[in-house]
Amino acid sequence: MAAIPKEKPSRIEEERAQFARYKADVKARGKPFYPYAMFHDTIMSLVVVAVIIGLAAIWKWTSYGPHHDPTHPGLLGPEVTAPADPGTTSFVPRPDWYFYFLFYLLRIFKWPESVFLGTVGIPTICLILLFALPFLDRRRERRISARPVAMVAGVLTILSMAVLTWKGATAHEALASEVIADVPSWIQKEHLPPAAVPGAKLFATAGCTACHTYAGAGGSNLGAPDLTAIGSRHLGISFQIRHLQCPSCVNPGSPMPHFASLGYKRLHELAVFLEASKGVH
Amino acid sequence: MTLRRPPTRAELRRQRMEELVTYPLDWLEERSGLVGGIRYFLFRNVPSDVNWMQTLGSAALTAFLVQAITGVILAMYYTPSAATDPATGKPVAYESIQNITDHLTLGWLVRGMHRWGASVFIILMFLHMGRVFLFGAYKYPRELNWIVGVLILVLGMMEGFTGYLLPWDQTAYWATVVGINLNGTAPFLGPWLAQFLRSGQEITGETLTRFYSLHMLVIPAGIMALIGLHLYLVIRLGVSSPPWSKEAAGMEPAEEEPVPARRPGLMRPVPRGAGAAAIQAEPGGRD
Repeated sequence: MAAIPKEKPSRIEEERAQFARYKADVKARGKPFYPYAMFHDTIMSLVVVAVIIGLAAIWKWTSYGPHHDPTHPGLLGPEVTAPADPGTTSFVPRPDWYFYFLFYLLRIFKWPESVFLGTVGIPTICLILLFALPFLDRRRERRISARPVAMVAGVLTILSMAVLTWKGATAHEALASEVIADVPSWIQKEHLPPAAVPGAKLFATAGCTACHTYAGAGGSNLGAPDLTAIGSRHLGISFQIRHLQCPSCVNPGSPMPHFASLGYKRLHELAVFLEASKGVH
Repeated sequence: MTLRRPPTRAELRRQRMEELVTYPLDWLEERSGLVGGIRYFLFRNVPSDVNWMQTLGSAALTAFLVQAITGVILAMYYTPSAATDPATGKPVAYESIQNITDHLTLGWLVRGMHRWGASVFIILMFLHMGRVFLFGAYKYPRELNWIVGVLILVLGMMEGFTGYLLPWDQTAYWATVVGINLNGTAPFLGPWLAQFLRSGQEITGETLTRFYSLHMLVIPAGIMALIGLHLYLVIRLGVSSPPWSKEAAGMEPAEEEPVPARRPGLMRPVPRGAGAAAIQAEPGGRD
């Protein structure tokens, strides 16, 4: 062993010394960026451009290209879906795939107590941890075998993101065309009066079941509550209409979209249906 | 042995040609220093054992450049208007997307590259971040560059969110409705943010123009500035060597444990050349 220094150098002194050694080593033994590293970078960039062109070509030649139909899904999804229409809400909201992990997080937390955790809480905490990583891990050690905590944390992060993305991609979505077939069984099970039937049909087709479950139909999404027995809470027709027109006005922080565009008559039908839903007997 | 004789006419012509080429370069260098800067960029040393994984950053940069170029072309033909075209009854933005995809020469390629280049860009940013994490390359003195990188990732995902609305089809519209409502659940800032993004209570044509402006002016400007800073810091601080590197530029064993004998190649005991002086000057030295 060499002589032990009288005073242990502080961390920042050691870091500076190590960086000075790095600079000197690279100067003495490194190789110039051009042509060596740049050659690898160029090959990789060409691969990237080729992959992007390939994806564009697969998109065209498996969907709208050969089928002459812009809504044919093909391997990578359709060219476009139907034009945006705020009036007909029978569409299941779906983000691009790299938001699936956030999207699925919302199903884990149920409205209203903890949905804030899924929408903002956990993503914000994760983002702060990501920014703070260099200040949380202050050791100089860089060898992979000597950083077990960092490696386990990294693997767990990747695994949880992958699982959430996969679950988000395969989550069951309720299609309006399937849900409408359930309306007769709702009338029977819930003993719905005839006045509630138009509202039930509207409920099945207006996209409500994209987020809400009702008598076993529909998909739970964004932490939206089950509406099978919403009528037994006696919220009242006028409350239901006001809530549908502007959910976040009645229920601050609600992520539910506004349905004022359905018009008063249809909102009234929906409200009658919801108030008549006293649960499965 | 050089022959002392007057230069031939061919040699004189060659000399004049060389001056013709170097004159504008010298002119530029004298007034800006740019030529020296580029020369430094190209011929700076990197560790001699950089890994293929260390090309992921430049690969992500390439994907961003593809997005920039295809985005400029799309902006020449796209109309960010939610108004209904009286001739067809379809929204103008939706029609311009269909026109680009179906009727413009190679329009399908440009839109397809922009659509899928976005995914490739996001994937490459995540892979690049994973590589930096694996190599421990976020440690001193590169902490700031890690933060800049995370900012670029966040802005990149915001590009994905704002760009998703532009085709103005059902997928775009309803994903954005939910996305904005989710932002709205944040405490304090949430409702204000949702109001700002929507430009009102409902998603309308004004939301579309707002997203278009954010998507092609505000956020890309931010990303470009941050990429510039990111590259500046990479060039200033140097490319890190892989942690398993035999050359291991500048690395030293943790102070409490000596280099294990079974891993003799990990550290060079005494580097040759200019490196040696720096090491001997180090307080505490090494074993």
